[in-house]
Parts: sequence; structure tokens; C-alpha cells
Amino acid sequence: MSRALPASAARAPALSRAIEEAVLSPGKRLRPLVALAVGEIFRAPLPAATAVAIAVEYLHAASLVLDDLPSMDNARRRRGRPAIHVGHGVATAELAALALVARAFEVAAQAPETPPRTRAMVIGELARAIGAEGSCAGQAADLAADPSRLTLEDLEGIHARKTGALFVAAVRTGALTGGAGEETLEALTLFARNLGLAFQITDDMLDLTGDPERMGKDTRRDAHRANFATLFGLESSARLVDELLEAAVSALSPLGKKAAILADLPRVVRDRQK
Amino acid sequence: MKSGAGRNPPPALSLDEARRRLRDLGYLNGGVERFLFRRAFAGRGGLFLPAILLGAFAAAIASLAAVETAEAGFGESLDAAAALVVHLFFSDLAIAALFALLLGFAAGRSRAPAGAATASGLAAAGAVFFLWIGGAWSLSREIPARALLWGAPVALAALLLARAVRTGFLARAYAHSRALPSRRRRRVFLAAALTGVLAAAAIFTSRGRPAPPPPALPAPRGGAVVVVAVDGLALDVKTSDALSGVRELLATGATGWWPAKKAAPPEVWTDLSTGETPPRHGVRALTRVRPKGSPIGLRPPLGTAWYLRRLGPALRLVSSAPVSASDRRRLAFWEVAASAGLPAAAVGWWASGPWPGAEVVGNEEILAGASDGISADRRAIEAARLRRRGGQQVLTVYLPGLDILRDDPNPERRPEALLQLHRYLEEEVSRAIAGQGALVILAAESHAAPVSLGRMVVFDGRLPVKTLAIRPEDVAPSILARAGLPVAADLPGHPVAALFPPGVLETTTVPTYGTRTAPATPRSALTDREYLDKLKSLGYLN
Repeated sequence: MSRALPASAARAPALSRAIEEAVLSPGKRLRPLVALAVGEIFRAPLPAATAVAIAVEYLHAASLVLDDLPSMDNARRRRGRPAIHVGHGVATAELAALALVARAFEVAAQAPETPPRTRAMVIGELARAIGAEGSCAGQAADLAADPSRLTLEDLEGIHARKTGALFVAAVRTGALTGGAGEETLEALTLFARNLGLAFQITDDMLDLTGDPERMGKDTRRDAHRANFATLFGLESSARLVDELLEAAVSALSPLGKKAAILADLPRVVRDRQK
Repeated sequence: MKSGAGRNPPPALSLDEARRRLRDLGYLNGGVERFLFRRAFAGRGGLFLPAILLGAFAAAIASLAAVETAEAGFGESLDAAAALVVHLFFSDLAIAALFALLLGFAAGRSRAPAGAATASGLAAAGAVFFLWIGGAWSLSREIPARALLWGAPVALAALLLARAVRTGFLARAYAHSRALPSRRRRRVFLAAALTGVLAAAAIFTSRGRPAPPPPALPAPRGGAVVVVAVDGLALDVKTSDALSGVRELLATGATGWWPAKKAAPPEVWTDLSTGETPPRHGVRALTRVRPKGSPIGLRPPLGTAWYLRRLGPALRLVSSAPVSASDRRRLAFWEVAASAGLPAAAVGWWASGPWPGAEVVGNEEILAGASDGISADRRAIEAARLRRRGGQQVLTVYLPGLDILRDDPNPERRPEALLQLHRYLEEEVSRAIAGQGALVILAAESHAAPVSLGRMVVFDGRLPVKTLAIRPEDVAPSILARAGLPVAADLPGHPVAALFPPGVLETTTVPTYGTRTAPATPRSALTDREYLDKLKSLGYLN
């Protein structure tokens, strides 16, 4: 992950530090792990799957930097450390996010042992995940939403794009590097959609109940606004998480035993404490 | 981040509504085994809990269905049914838990969990049907059509168990090896349940239907018959001189003999009184079991004896109940006679009880006031003499004294009992020889020695002495024919004309005498206890 970081930031040490901090701070690395796991299922060349995984994580890191900005969620802490904009300033944080997005596409475009068509498809998946149909749209909807009138469909729309889209991109790009067919991609998409929503609902629950120290970020910032945990209550949210994870695992059935490596991920999502 | 002051809050959503709307959005549509994933997270303890609970419940329901099928009236007592289910549920928990452990072991090592899970579910459902069908089969030779009504609850219980087992298996397999579940196979279990019910229908049909209730019998044309049944009269054993008097007396009658069988006295004597075999008349042992809380005793169905006969009594959760008339599913000869309008009386017989038109003094009543075999016989003989004066057309008395005295350490008692018997028999024989009706003496030893014979000795006017082999099933038809009653064609035995004067036996037949359908009647545990204590004090149940 660190070796793939942009080296040309030598004359801008603050930006370099911000980028490194954004990428290398202690996160769960769930998305790149998903991409790598799916790549392994389809026997993708390891360099290709690794490149895709790195690209996905760079995009995720960039989205977190942007999400924490004062103009967005105005979060002060992330992954147990001051948010990038707190430590390096808003301008540097914005530049770091932009640089990471660019680097992600660069890594994907240079993915070794990957046919050009597959590279193009991977880049397309990543672009969709963060673009006007993906994270950006989700963040915009989140910013524009009236928390007192959010419906389930509104919440799902926000989460599916802010969180779910990158999960979907992770599994689909991992599968694409292994040459997976459309039917398999559909199954994986279903898996990722359910997993992503379960992940986000868990996030909402942890926001209400989690330990800020353990989580490494501010909590109860969402307590005053609608999310799944406030909309349904913790108990019902927990049941929905279970059912979404069941649906996610079930979606892998067409893949047979070779998908077993993914079947552990729902447990990670369900039991996570941060 | 955003303010919604002054707006109405969103309406609270129910979980079901949330599920529906999420499905509309493309989630929750995986068709996964319900609860599988959650159970996989629940750890080993919770993994098979539903299967264990459902397994115990399904087994209890299947056993209840078997008992209710075989025991007329058992299901009509809600207390009895509930008590049986509760007892069997808790006892079956241990068995179910053991099977769950084995399943967990197998699931953790299965290479094809989907198939193995389905097979496990099918096996569990099959076990439930086996308990039902096998239990009913073992308890009764004849199974009424209403037994199939139990098909619905048994099939439902089996279906639920099968699914719980399958889900538990898959969850364990997943938790252990991350092997993924396949989609549900509802139809497999549904088909299995349907097959189980159809199999039950086929098997129950092959078992035969109970005979209808006793039909109206034509007016009898015979004379009076007295039947004296003597238990423990081992004429083939060379013993005291006291026996020789009885032996010599009986040697003057026309004798039919059969090899005696070793069985509990109620079974041996019910064979003779009904003319049927034990699987058809239903009386086997001296006692039945009575789960605590049940007002009715029962015979343990298949797979429950370990608890109802052994563990339950050891834990004082199950007690014994004496055999009673409600155990008997065929009419005794005095009941057939009474049903045909003959004045009839029976004294002291095992598994006897009230019957319309018959005066019945039960075994319990005779033994209640007896301190030993001699007094038991004395009470029975006195009761019989009393009924004889009442002009009964069919009178019978069962004398248990010699059987009770079989192991008596006092050598004086048995000769005394034999002397008492001798006097009574002489009295009856002299009447019979004088033409005051027929006398049939039944002598059998229920603790049969290898050479022991059962005997039917007939005195009916002046008959030539003769001896011939007959079957025990011939006894009841002979008595009934002599009383002038047509013999039921569905009885396995036939009247033995050679033992009676020519022309005195009724030769017409009726299709059947029907089934004795008197329902099991609730009795207090104290009453049963007193009876059982008396039986023990007289040497039974040791």
C-alpha cells in the first residue's frame, strides 16, 4: 500500500505526509481484503488483484478525508488520530484526497498482468463507485437530507452510494481481474450490497453505543439525526444486520465452496467494535 | 449536521415493514436458510437448541399419537395426554441432545454439508414417523381409521424438526469450516412428511381395523354353564396327597388339554376368557405405567420403555398402575353372554370390570379382603355361591389361591387350599352330573413348568371319560356354544363338540362379537397403589 503511494510529492512534504497518513492510518482494510479475496476465488494474478485492492483502498481513504471536512461531517478524529484536515489543514486535506483519487486510477490503469479491456472495466467500476452515481451522490444526498424526514428509502439511497458502492466495486473489480462472468458478478453484487448495508447499519449502531476511544473517532454525532439505529432502534437494527448478512452469504451459494473465503467477512462486519 | 426543527418525525417502521421495503430495494433476497447465520454466530451451545427442543417435542407427540391410537379413551383425558407429553418431552431431551452432539460432530467434518444436512433432516423426520407408526404397531394389532388424524400433527412436528436439524447442521458446518449453505429444500421435507403419512396409512390399513361394537345376538338356546378357573393347579406335578383328591375328581370329566404357556396371569387367563391371542385382546402384564400427573395408566409405546419402565420409576416420576378391564379389547365370554341377554356373573377374573347386564366382582375386590391364597379363594367361592343362588345362566369364578400359595414357605397352606378347592369342585361336579347345567373347570399354571399342561375339564350330565388335545383358543367358544350362543366366526378357536354331550352345542355363527370399547377410566393413584400393594403382599409383582 505504501509502495504504491505517489512519489512525486517530494516537493510538497505536507501533502505527502497527509496522503501517507490518510492511507496508512490503522483502518480495517475491509474493502481491499474483499477485493483480494474475490481475486483469489477467481484465481486472478496476485499483482493484478493487489493493484485493484490498493486502488479501492486509496479511493476509500480519499472519501474519508473528504467526509471529515468541516464542510461535510466536520469530524475531528479518524482512526484514532486527528482527522487529516485537523492535522494538516483543510486545503491540504482536499489536495490529499484529490491526489489519492488520481493515484487510485493510475494504479488501476497500470495493473500488471491485466488485459486492457479488463483494466478499462475495472476503472469504470471504480469511477462509478465514487462518481455522480456513487459516493459523491451519496454524500450530496446526505448533506441535503432533512434528518427529521428521512425515510428508509432515503437512508438506503445514501448508504448504498456512500458505503455500498465501494463494497460493490471491491468485489466486482476483484472478480473482473479473475475473469469472472456476468452471472457471477451479479451474485457478488448481491453479496456486496447486503454486506455494505449491514456494515453501514452496524456503523450507525456503533455511533450510538460504541466507545470513542476504541473506535478511534467521534461517536454520537449521528444521534440527533436519522439513521437506521435511530429509525428502528438498536434491537431491530441488529436483526436487520443479521438478516442482511444471511442474505449476503446466501447470495454466494452459486459460487459453491470456492466462495468460502468470503463467508467469514459477515462475521467481521457483525462483530466489529470499531 | 442538518436541522429538522419544526418538522414531523418520520413514522416509526415495524421490522416487517422494513424487511418488505428493503426487499423492494433489492436486499434480503438471498433465500438463505432462516436463522442459519445467526445460529452460526450463536456458538456451539445454541446451534442445535431448536433441533433439540423440537426433537423432544416431536418424539413426545409421536409417542402420544401411538398411545392414543392403541388405547381407547386415552386421548379423551387431557390430563393424561398432557402428562405423557410432558414426561416424554423432558426424557427425550437427553436423547435429542445426544443426537445433536453427534450431528454437530458430523457437521463439523462434513465435506458436503448441504446434502448431509438434508439427509440429517430426513432422518430426523423419519425417526418421528417411526415412533408413531412403530409405536402404534407394537401396541395394537388393530388400528382404527381415526389414527390417521394424528398424521397432521405428527407430520407438522416432523417437518419442523427436519428443518431445524438441517439448519442447525448447516450452521454448524458453516461455523466450523466456512462451508456455505445451499438454498432451502422445502419440498424435500414436505415430500418426506407426505410420504410418512402415506406410509402410515398403508401400514395401518394392513394392520386391520378393530371389529365393530358387539352386535345384537340371537336369543340363546343352551343351558346354564358354570366355569371355575383354577390358577396354579399343576396336576402334572407329583406333589402332596392333597392334590390327588382334586386330580382324581377331575379325571372323571371329559378333558381337553394344551401345553401351558409361561406368561403373566392376566394374559394367560384373558386368552381363555376371550378366546383371542394377546395381540388382539391387549392384556399382557400385571401392570401398566402411569406417569406422574396422569389419571390413566398406559403401556409404553416403542422407544419409551427406558424411561417409563426404568428411569421414571427410579426417579419416582412414573408409577405402576394395575391391569384393568380397559386394557382388554375383546369381550370375555360372560360379557358376550350378557350382551345376548343371558343372566351372567363373573367373580375374581383379571382385567374384568363392569359390563351391561353382567354382575361382575373384580379381581381387585376379591383380593382386597384376602390375606393369603386360602382366603382369596374363600372369598371368591363365597361370591360365586351367592351369584349361583341368583340364578345366573353363565356363572364363572376365578380362583387365584393356589397360584398365590405357589411359593408359600408354610407347607401346611397348600394342602389346606387344595382341600377347600376340592370341596367346592365336588359340590359343582355333583350338580353337573345331576344334570343341573354344565360345569367347565379350567386349570392352568401361569408359571408353567416345561411339562405343564392347561386343562378344560367338562362335566355335563354323565359323560364318558376322555382326553384330547385342544387349543386354549377353543375354550371360550366351547363355553359360549354350550350356553347356546352362536360362536363368532372371527375367533381363532372353535367349540370342541367331543367334550360335550351330543347336540348341546350351538352350531350357528355370527361374524363377530365386536370390540370391547370401554374407555380407560381415570383412577386415583392411591387406589392403584393399594391394589398394587395387595398384589405384592400376595406374592405378585416380586
